[in-house]
This record gives sequence, structure tokens and C-alpha cells, in this order.
Amino acid sequence: MNKHKFIQKRRPQWKKFELFLKESSGKSLSKLPADKISTFSQLLREISHDLATIRSRGWGHELMSYLNDLVARGHNLFYSAPPTNFGRFYQYLAADFPRLFRANIGYFLIACLLFFLPMGVSWCVVQNNPDLASRVIPEEYMTQFDHMYGEEGGLNSDTENTTEGDTNSEEAEDPATGTFGDQRAAMAGFYINNNVGIALKCFALGVLLGIGTVYTLLFNGIFLGAVSGYIISQGNGDRFLSFVISHGSFELTAIAVAGGAGLMLGNAIIHPGQRTRFQSLQLRGLEAVQIAGGAAAMLVIAAMIEAFWSPADFPNEVKYAVGSGLWLIVFLYLTFAGLQTDSRFRLRRSSTTPPQEGDQHR
Amino acid sequence: MASTITLDETSPATDDVVEPFIPGNREILGLEMQVETPENVVLSYQLAGPSQRYVAYLIDFLIRTMMLVAIFMFFIAPLMELLMPGAMLGLFLVIMFLNTWGYYTISETFFKGKSIGKHACGLRVIREGGYPITFWPSLLRNLARSADSIIFYGVGITSMLLTRRFQRLGDLLAGTVVVQERSLELPRKPIILNKIKPLDKNDIGSFLPRDEVLSLIDEFIGRRHVLTYERGHALAAQLAKRLAKRLHYSGDEKKVSEYPMAFLASVYKTFSFSQDQEEQELVDEYNKRSEMPGEDTYE
Repeated sequence: MNKHKFIQKRRPQWKKFELFLKESSGKSLSKLPADKISTFSQLLREISHDLATIRSRGWGHELMSYLNDLVARGHNLFYSAPPTNFGRFYQYLAADFPRLFRANIGYFLIACLLFFLPMGVSWCVVQNNPDLASRVIPEEYMTQFDHMYGEEGGLNSDTENTTEGDTNSEEAEDPATGTFGDQRAAMAGFYINNNVGIALKCFALGVLLGIGTVYTLLFNGIFLGAVSGYIISQGNGDRFLSFVISHGSFELTAIAVAGGAGLMLGNAIIHPGQRTRFQSLQLRGLEAVQIAGGAAAMLVIAAMIEAFWSPADFPNEVKYAVGSGLWLIVFLYLTFAGLQTDSRFRLRRSSTTPPQEGDQHR
Repeated sequence: MASTITLDETSPATDDVVEPFIPGNREILGLEMQVETPENVVLSYQLAGPSQRYVAYLIDFLIRTMMLVAIFMFFIAPLMELLMPGAMLGLFLVIMFLNTWGYYTISETFFKGKSIGKHACGLRVIREGGYPITFWPSLLRNLARSADSIIFYGVGITSMLLTRRFQRLGDLLAGTVVVQERSLELPRKPIILNKIKPLDKNDIGSFLPRDEVLSLIDEFIGRRHVLTYERGHALAAQLAKRLAKRLHYSGDEKKVSEYPMAFLASVYKTFSFSQDQEEQELVDEYNKRSEMPGEDTYE
């Protein structure tokens, strides 16, 4: 059969398929009527056949690439991902994330070691020896901390901050809480932007053999420890701790969780097991990013608490109580959420990806 | 593209024998990526190189910056003067966060692997198996951007140059590739054949060119406007001379040397349309057969 004849003969089908692709672009295949889907799948197979025919005959590069693109687009539509919905998101937070977290808890523990140990050490050292703080903390930060947690610092919120905010918010709401909430909302935005960004970066840098993650964990651990030690040594300990304890639950844990996910990436390269390094990276990367996503969600919660609850004007006892409650919640969440189906999940997981040496442990 | 193929396939080593296409036979370093689908069809994708992707990145960067500026000027700043400046500032910071960390993920997940810059450059992200990208791989490849972007994307570019499929670290991690989308366009009618006379049967021997050679001529002449007149003829002359030799062409020598394109066209006409009658019968039979349900062979 001649090439031109072939084109003439098959062209209507190709056009039909093209039209179909144009019509259904952006729509999910499952929303189309059944007869359309069956014609689509038939056309897809026919055109795949045409492509093979043209390839085997060597009927020209352009024709081939035209048909190739038709088939590729059809293929993409045919195998397109199921639509994501909010039920999925809930399912992810309620079960999938804590499950994945528990399945890879070893990395988290190492990240904790890398984060909390230097933090504790530098905390102790600086608290007993405040002069050393200047080696870690820049001068302007130190004065800032003194101001923040000092007697008339920003945490005693009712003295200041009613300058520009209350000009318009008088009518409906209570002006005092209005301005308080308003100022805090800005801080919430800042915390989200800053903290979640740092944690995600900490995770992503794990791809460089884990070095970036280890560095970020150590640096932040030492820095935060030094800051805590310094502030307490200046005599502002009570105000500082009551401020930090609530959001610290979510924040500090999430940093370690994200760091653990980053270490997973690093370890996937260093100990690929029986796969190639790239394969192992891809397989475990997909798990790691789901853990990092959970850490990001936790940090968003932490940002909200830090902005709206931590600076609120409550007695310290209440804050300590709530803070401990939050720590307990984090612990319970990570330990027990999605646990009832955990064993089934582990079974499924291990049947698809046989556990390997160096997979779970370092 | 067409010209390189022409040169390759008429080079002395291969003569007019074109290498058959064998998928997966060998991996050629090039811009083509081959993927085998579950239907056992081999699809080829054109990979996107670093320079194209850089342009797309720049466009995206501009758009992201402009988006932020526009949101601030037209939405945040006016509202800040009216009510709750702090909350507006917080909202802006959240938008900034989403812009930095979510722009690519959101656009790639919901717009079939394209961000605006990629769309403008005709690029698309797919997974290595040819499947469309989904949320988690997209998030992964875009979080890893912060590792890739160290030293002005030095890490990413190095990784792209070192991998066969131009993947940056994020791509390697998520198992994705960036490909070029070609426009869907049926090649136009190649040769205006009714103006061209076939070669005289007495002037040629019994040699029959292969299908591949014929469609090569077909495509070359179909795209002759891409090249200048001189260059096109110079390229055509190579093939024309070689073909004339194989055909033992004894007709007008001038035709081969001075009007190689016309010569090629008449070769094409000679061989692809000489047995019109026979062909017609075959086509009729084929039509009859394919009208019956359940049968679709193209022989």
C-alpha cells in the first residue's frame, strides 16, 4: 500500500481523534459518556497500529512524529491521574502521613539526635556561661531578644500597638482583640513563610547525600539552644518558656520530622540496597516527600499557635498546661493516628517493596 | 532536523539503505526518549534541553514576581489602608509562601505538567513511563528545586548535563522528565505531482528504491522552503547523484546535476505511482475488508 493512499484512508480517523482530544482536554475521562470512551479507546488502539505500520515501513519522520504525538496525547489522557479531592487530603493527614512516619521512624530518631542533642548541649553551655552566646548569636539578635522577652517587651501586649489599627475596626468588633488578632495575623504569615520554608529546604537538601539536612539540623539545633540558654540566663526564662512551650510541640517535632525525611533521601543514595541509586532514590523519595508534606502541615499549625496563642495574655500556669497538652497531642498523633489499619498497610507495603538490608536502618 | 537526516542517510557508509527502526536496540545519545506503553507501542518524546528550560524558568520567574507585585499593589495595599493592615500583611506573606513553594507544584498538578513559562516554551513535565505527572512527584521535584538552585542553578545544570535525559536532581528524585510538546500538525501535501513527469522506463535499470528513500524524498521536497535555494539543491544533489548511479540512469545528465530536486521528484513519481492500477485494486480490497467489523489490518 502506498503512503499517500494510507494517509488518505486513515486521515479521517486521525482527525476524529484529534477533535476528541481537543474536546476532552482538561476534562477527566471518567466524566465522558460511555460510548465516547469506547470509541476513544478503539481509536487509540487503531492509531497505535497506524504508528507501528508507519514505523515499520519507514514512511517518513514527519508523519511518524504526528502520529506519535497523537498516540502520546491519547495515552496521557487514558492514563491520567484520578482527580484529587479534599477527602484524600484528610485521609492523608489522618492516616497516611503518621503511618509513613512510623514506617520510617529510624530516620526521625536520628534527626532528633542531630537536632535536640546539640540543642541541649548549647543550651546548657550558654545558660551557664552567657558570654559564649555571642559566638553563636549575632549582636543585633541579642538586643532584639532582650527587648522581646524583657519586662516591657512585645509579649506584654496591652501597653502598645493601638496606634493605627483601631481607626477602622471600632464599629463591630472589640477593638482590643481586633488589634491583637490583626498584629498576630501578620506574624502568622511571617511564621508560615519563614519556618515552613526552612523545613522544606532542610528536607530538599537531603538529596545532596544528606549533607544539607545534617547541616541545617545541627545549625538550627545549636542556634536555638544558644538562644534559649541566653534568654534564660538574662532572667527572662519564665516569659520565654511559657511563650515557647505551646508551639514548640509542633514546631520542634516537625523540624525533626522534615530532617528525617531529608535523611531518607540521603540514605537512599548512600545505601541503595539492591536497586540502582536512582531507582532507590525515586522509590524512597516518594515516601520521603509525603513525610515532609506532613511536617509542613504541622509547621502551619505551629505557626498558628505561635501567632495567636503563645503571645496571648494568659497566666503562665495555663500556658504550661496547654503546652504540655499539645506535646501530648503531637505524641499521640504520631504514634496512634491510623494505627488500626497499620498492620494491613505494612503488609501491602512490604508485598510491593520487599524490605531490604539498609532500607529501614542506617 | 530534516537536513541532518538527509545527510546521514545518504552518507557513503549507509548508501541508500536506511537503518530500520528497532526500539530499545541501542541507546543513542540524543534528544529522543523512547517509552513503551502497555499497548506495546513505542512512543518517542523529544526531550527539552537546559537552554529551553532556562527560558521557561525566566518566564516563570518574571510572572511570579509580577504576580506578587500586582497582588500587593492592587489588592493588599488598598485593603491595608482600609482595614486590618496586619492581617493583610500576613495574608501577603502566605501568598508569598505559596508563590515560592507552591507555584510550580500547583500549576504542574492542575495544568497537566505545565507551568505558564513551560506552556509558552512548549514544554511539559511527564513521568518517565510517559504518564502524566501527579501531585506527590510534582511536589518532590519542585521541593528539590532548592537543592538544584544552589549557585544559580549550578547543581541543576550540572546534573542535567550529566544525565542522559537532561534531568535535574528534582527530576531524578521524582522520576520525571521535561519534554517538548510538538504541535499536532499533519504534514502537508508534499509534492505537487501532477506537474512532474515520471522518468522514462528506458533510461533506468531494474533497481527499486526502498520505501524509506522514497519518503525521505517526499519529506525533503515537502520542506524545501525551509532551506535556501542553493543549499536545498546542494543537499538534494548528493542524493540525486547517488540514486542516478544506482538506477543506472542514462537519460539527461544535466537533469541530475543541475535540477536535482526535479530529478528526485520524478524518481518519486516513477516509483510510488507507477503501479497505480495495481494499487487501486489493493486499496479496494482493503476497504472491503476493513468495513467488516473486527478486522483491522492494513495490509
